[in-house]
Amino acid sequence: MEKGRMIFISGGVRSGKSSYAEKIAAKMAKQKGRSLHYIACGHASDEEMALRIRHHRAERENSVPAWNTWEHSTNIHRLASRFDQQGIVLLDCLTTLLNNELFASEEEKWNLAAFQEDVFNMITIGIEAILNSCKYLIIVSNEVLNAPLTDGVTFIYGKILGKLHQWAVDKADSAFLVEAGHAISKKGEIADEWNHCSWDGF
Amino acid sequence: MHFITGGAFNGKSQWVKDYYQLNERPSRWFSAYFGNLINYRFQEPDSSLIVMEGLELLIKNECQTIEIQEWRQSWQKELSSWKAWEQKKNGRQVIFIGTDISKGIVPVDPNERKWRDLTGWAYQDLAAACDRVDLIWYGLGTQLK
Repeated sequence: MEKGRMIFISGGVRSGKSSYAEKIAAKMAKQKGRSLHYIACGHASDEEMALRIRHHRAERENSVPAWNTWEHSTNIHRLASRFDQQGIVLLDCLTTLLNNELFASEEEKWNLAAFQEDVFNMITIGIEAILNSCKYLIIVSNEVLNAPLTDGVTFIYGKILGKLHQWAVDKADSAFLVEAGHAISKKGEIADEWNHCSWDGF
Repeated sequence: MHFITGGAFNGKSQWVKDYYQLNERPSRWFSAYFGNLINYRFQEPDSSLIVMEGLELLIKNECQTIEIQEWRQSWQKELSSWKAWEQKKNGRQVIFIGTDISKGIVPVDPNERKWRDLTGWAYQDLAAACDRVDLIWYGLGTQLK
């Protein structure tokens, strides 16, 4: 079985990272036989959030090509079987997924080293599983590690997120940092390649 | 002198270990991350390769008791001393690792603001004094100088 290729995209709040990721994914999906999938990790914590989620979902459903939306706030490995070798999968976003996995349990387990390890493994295993069952996986995440991580929760969250980002960048075929809508290529020479749709030559 | 910066948990130390092949070379590694404060003030070291990690924490500690201008002058003076030591003999090298804490929301607490300001100034002074500066992003380095 051929393994999918991975693209890591990170940026600040409202930097345009998600739009950039969606643009790449939609472009890749234009080839015949490809399907387009969106893994939404956020869940609505209030009415405003619910409205935003509905709005985004409607936008994706009406776009060409249309997206299949999968709303999974945890356990993304369960999704792997839903995709196929021609699938283009966008995961938005890693920060939310980590937040959900780390704070999902009723008890406060985030402070336990073994649990932190489990969360890291859960997420990386999930990503690997999806990668094994799609053509391209695009992962979106946030730049949040350039500020003091002073209190306990923030520190642990930042530590695992940093580890996940390092893992993802190492594993990715290409990585981008998005600033004000512009993608800076940090790894791989993809920027030109995907513009010319020559990736399949690899 | 070589300054390595970037966000927290971005793999800066690992980058230094790989780049300088520290597994195979004798070096002295001072870290502020394990409860001990490091002393950036010059003292004749017992190794020709020195690494100082966690600059932001040592600055946090210092800035509680000292004024910004006064601290900066002392910082610049110590940096010149390290540089002079390095230049005295071939093969000597000082490596500084400092986490970028500059991109969050302005802290409400004045001490936290002062810490952030001072860290920014300290890194500018350091970058000016160093021969080489690298910015690390999740394990990938970009050379700034």
